Amino acid sequence: MTSWITTVDHKRIGVLYGVTAFGFLLVGGLEALVIRLQLAGPGQRLVGAETYNALFTMHGTTMVFLAVMPLNAAFFNYMIPLLIGARDVAFPRLNALSFWIFLFGGLFLNASVLVGSPPDVGWFGYANLTSKQFSPGHGVDFWILSLLILGVSSMIAAVNFIVTILNMRAPGMTLMRMPVFAWMTLVVQFLIVLAFPPITVGLVFLMFDRFFGTRFYDVAAGADLHLWQHLFWIFGHPEVYILILPAFGIVSEVLPTFARKPLFGAPVVIYSGVLIGFFGFGVWSHHMFAAGMGPVADAAFSIATMLIAIPTGVKIFNWLATLWGGSIRLTTAMRFAVGLVGLFTIGGLSGIMHASPPVDLQQTDSYFVVAHFHYVLIGGSLFGLFAGAYYWWPKITGRLLDERLGRLTFWVLCIGFNVAFFPQHYLGAIGMPRRIYTYSPDAGWSFWNAVSTAGAFGIALGVLLFMIGAWRSLRTGARAPADPWDGRTLEWRTSSPPPPHDFDAIPPVYGRDTFWREKYGGSGRGGEGSGLRNDTRPGTLAAPTAPLAEHVHMPGGSYWPVLTALAMITTAVGALTGLAVVIAGALATVACAFGFALEHHRNPAHEHQTGDLGVDHRKVAMWVFLGSECFFFGTLVATYLAYKGRSVTGPEPHQILNIPLTTLSTFDLLMSSLLMVLALAAVQRGDRWQARLWLFGTAFFGLVFLGFQVYEFAHFVQEGLTLEGNLFGSTFFVLTGLHGGHVTLGVIWLLALAILDLRGRLGARDAIKVEIAGLYWHFVDVVWIVIFTLVYLVP
Amino acid sequence: MNEQTSEPPAVRPGLAAAVLLLGGCAWDGPMSTVAARSDFARDILHVYGIITWATAGIGLIVFAALAWVLLRFRERPGAPLPAQTRGHALLELSWTIAPALILLVIAIPTIQIIFRTQGAPPPQALEILVRGHQWWWEFGYPGLDVVTANELHLPAGRPVALRLEGPDVIHSFWVPRLGGKRDVVPGRLNVLTLTPEVPGEYWGQCAEFCGVSHANMGMRVVVEAPDAFARWVAAQRATPAEPAGVAAEGKAIFARSACVGCHTIRGVSAGVLGPDLTTFGSRGMLGAGLLPSTPQTVAAWVKDAGAIKPGVKMPALGLSDAEARAVAAYLLSLK
Amino acid sequence: MSEQTPDMGPDTGPHAAHASTGTYLKVAAILTVVTALEFGSIYIRALTPILVPLLLVLSAGKFALVVLFFMHLRYDSRALAVLFAGPLLLATGIAIALMTLTGAFLVFGR
Repeated sequence: MTSWITTVDHKRIGVLYGVTAFGFLLVGGLEALVIRLQLAGPGQRLVGAETYNALFTMHGTTMVFLAVMPLNAAFFNYMIPLLIGARDVAFPRLNALSFWIFLFGGLFLNASVLVGSPPDVGWFGYANLTSKQFSPGHGVDFWILSLLILGVSSMIAAVNFIVTILNMRAPGMTLMRMPVFAWMTLVVQFLIVLAFPPITVGLVFLMFDRFFGTRFYDVAAGADLHLWQHLFWIFGHPEVYILILPAFGIVSEVLPTFARKPLFGAPVVIYSGVLIGFFGFGVWSHHMFAAGMGPVADAAFSIATMLIAIPTGVKIFNWLATLWGGSIRLTTAMRFAVGLVGLFTIGGLSGIMHASPPVDLQQTDSYFVVAHFHYVLIGGSLFGLFAGAYYWWPKITGRLLDERLGRLTFWVLCIGFNVAFFPQHYLGAIGMPRRIYTYSPDAGWSFWNAVSTAGAFGIALGVLLFMIGAWRSLRTGARAPADPWDGRTLEWRTSSPPPPHDFDAIPPVYGRDTFWREKYGGSGRGGEGSGLRNDTRPGTLAAPTAPLAEHVHMPGGSYWPVLTALAMITTAVGALTGLAVVIAGALATVACAFGFALEHHRNPAHEHQTGDLGVDHRKVAMWVFLGSECFFFGTLVATYLAYKGRSVTGPEPHQILNIPLTTLSTFDLLMSSLLMVLALAAVQRGDRWQARLWLFGTAFFGLVFLGFQVYEFAHFVQEGLTLEGNLFGSTFFVLTGLHGGHVTLGVIWLLALAILDLRGRLGARDAIKVEIAGLYWHFVDVVWIVIFTLVYLVP
Repeated sequence: MNEQTSEPPAVRPGLAAAVLLLGGCAWDGPMSTVAARSDFARDILHVYGIITWATAGIGLIVFAALAWVLLRFRERPGAPLPAQTRGHALLELSWTIAPALILLVIAIPTIQIIFRTQGAPPPQALEILVRGHQWWWEFGYPGLDVVTANELHLPAGRPVALRLEGPDVIHSFWVPRLGGKRDVVPGRLNVLTLTPEVPGEYWGQCAEFCGVSHANMGMRVVVEAPDAFARWVAAQRATPAEPAGVAAEGKAIFARSACVGCHTIRGVSAGVLGPDLTTFGSRGMLGAGLLPSTPQTVAAWVKDAGAIKPGVKMPALGLSDAEARAVAAYLLSLK
Repeated sequence: MSEQTPDMGPDTGPHAAHASTGTYLKVAAILTVVTALEFGSIYIRALTPILVPLLLVLSAGKFALVVLFFMHLRYDSRALAVLFAGPLLLATGIAIALMTLTGAFLVFGR
């Protein structure tokens, strides 16, 4: 038990993710069944309007954030190191932290049900229905806080997996030789890192509106309600790909295995996945065709959306071509994979229909859209996840699943799903709107709603059959060999389940499907030539690093991840109970962060972290994080500028901003960056005296900057510019305040390093720690360069 | 759709589609999106048709290929390892370009219709102010000095410009047979221009989730010939006749209770928080399309609206049954 | 010049070279001068027509100097540059689109 709480083993964390997320999947599924029962006939009174609204809000939020995303994460965790030939992820303890934050965040969201005030504004939470005026209870607060918490979990995990995949591949595993599942995982992590900041910003605005009276979504103050919709969908559309691309990756592994053929056009499948992810950032407003953006925007986003269909179609055709000419074994995993190809095609095609704004005006917010995205998210994501579960179950548990029961499970799920959701296309076409708890018998929707409800229970039965199969396999299932499916990728090369260190010897990689090549020799017929390609790294193939199992250092367990997560959730609980709890939680979080970092600092085994890119893991992680911060501050600055001049009352920027003073504080922050580089150079030289001087100097200049800011804020408040006064006040204080928060964190970080140095514990070999702190510090500096120009100087 | 395929998962959606089509499902229900009765709805249906056929065609190809592959390329005992084909540049290029061409076929009419349906309203258009409230609709005819609620009257054959304004949260105006929906966004002015073509009664409903009784925010749209519309306008502008009997009693109760704080009845009260009731008796429905207006339903509503419509802002008035019946008789007399 | 940290090993490649203290001082001096120029330019009436683009260019220059030299992206692995520049450009594009859509430039009519 204790070993599971302190575990940092990616496989155990994967199992924890899987079990927890499956539990939340059941909760979300039960909510769906109540929804379907309520809609089974017209005018039903199983639940009231309020309860129904809470049910669909919780169902959507649960399925997206607590079920499908973490089920994906379960496979990332368990499989990615095995697929790329690594012994663990880059930051095992952060990996555990992600899980615990996710678990507590999920429980926190569901606690809203237990205390009787669940959110009831929809998973999309459109402003201004979410404002204090229209949603006075705590439901929306629960929703905001848990989404913020879950976002932190996803961000940490995403940075972790980007570094793992870029920096920890086995010798010879070039990027283009990576299994497609690893590629799709990589794309998804970038989507998470870049898409979560905009919604975080939107949620922070909403939180400030509700807790501190800012005016971001207050129409009376001049706010634009489209702002939330943009921020939400800038996140929300990439989120769709966050949910579906891992399933595409799984299918791209399962189809070749059971067709006994390589994935057809693997590079094209990879590029189309990357393109889907990239385009995913340019289509968000197709969720807003009815919102009134004007014809130019409608046309632009329509075209962009249609473009996404091209790489998506390419994937479907390449999967078909993979099957073509193969030797197809219809195992349960294969059935689910083929099921995805078919069902996702339906969801994709209905997606093309509402890429056209005129058609979308009839389909959006109707059951047609409900049918569409359930085909994508069940027929796509969930079928892909089931394919992955049946495919990798023997590897994870060391036991086989009953294939006969598996086939039955597939058919029950597939039929139940289609009965539940295909009629909803028709219901949408004859005008049934979404999110209604009741409807009139005269509308003509009754019969097919009853059918749909019956189908929903078919899905429930299918999930139950899966659970029975899983239970029987765990208790009495046949032992699985290392390679039960005649697999193609590295995970089948190690035992089932794998040892804690994954591989006794890290396998060298000769090309795509390297394990298949090992078994069958050469390249098979046709294809890209001999297995031994010329672009392997020098020295790695001749002498694969092959330490014996007992010499492999694997990190021990740690209590810090679970403690840190507990401290964070305490802060969130405090937001709903009392300021004292917030302060206690925040202090505990900082204390745990120190404990976390010092545990790392003490351990000499953590010194060597240079990976495939020739760069330290921590440095790659910091740069990825800074990329994410570009989105965070980009959104904040854009909001400031979009709201500039919209305030209905004063004071206005030019009346109040003190440019000469801010020029001085800007100069101060620029000079702190100079001291920072001097500090790093000194640490690298081993010049302890100078290192200390410049570290403290940097922190001091940071404090001076914060002093300027405190003076400025106090002065503005005296002049009548407040958070709640007008839009300018809201946007100005939140933007510059969040920047100030970053400076504060930086100062704490620098002081911690300086104190370590004082105590003689910051040697030249710790230069990387100073370097990443410096990167963060300089970034905070460049953000200020932008703010100084756009907020202060530009008239 | 694709009845000839016989393998999973093609067969079930195919069958379902066949059942839907052959089973004689009604496509012209009161909220049907594919039964166009205005120029706007016809324009949409035109694009809708093109896209439906294009996507159905693609779907057919994919499902046929999938079925063929699954039938033809099953594992056979003793068969040699299949050729390890890794790709084919030309094939892949072709199935990149082909969908792009199909998308072009969809995109061109899409763009045309976007700009055609979102142009400025013509000068002769009838201007109507649509205000979406939690959870009812207010319709104002600024040029005609008419204000009504939940029942929108439009003259057939004349363009109308619906100016959508939101006093509280976001709603969406949607009358499917007259065209697509458009959000009612507080702080923004959205305009929907359309020309209803066929006289008749149409259903509409709020299509953007707007709180507790989102499901109970319906409306009726009556499209009528120009002379009938003119008669309706005249009736709306007339001051209601003085009621007699129990209705007169109801008027007295109405005038002395909280009703007057929220509702307007021309010549009686001037509240603005709730629907204008001046011609309530001429409207067929109660509570934004929730129930038909009968003496029983109206009396029950007047006693305790919240028991009928969750979240409604109208408080229970504490009237006795007899008083409620009298108020109902009065309200229904307002034609 | 910096010394190699032990864990960087022999395979350090392009990021081994760091700028010298002199370079850092020069960059800091340029940053100071540009900041002063920015400050001055808002008071010069003649610059009003080109003030906004001028300020944007100057601050972009400062941004680039800090990122390239202080954050030594210029001397570091190309992969890091891609990891940062990609999101930076994408975020800039989305920010501009967001401002356009919310009417900050009034390009698309309401």
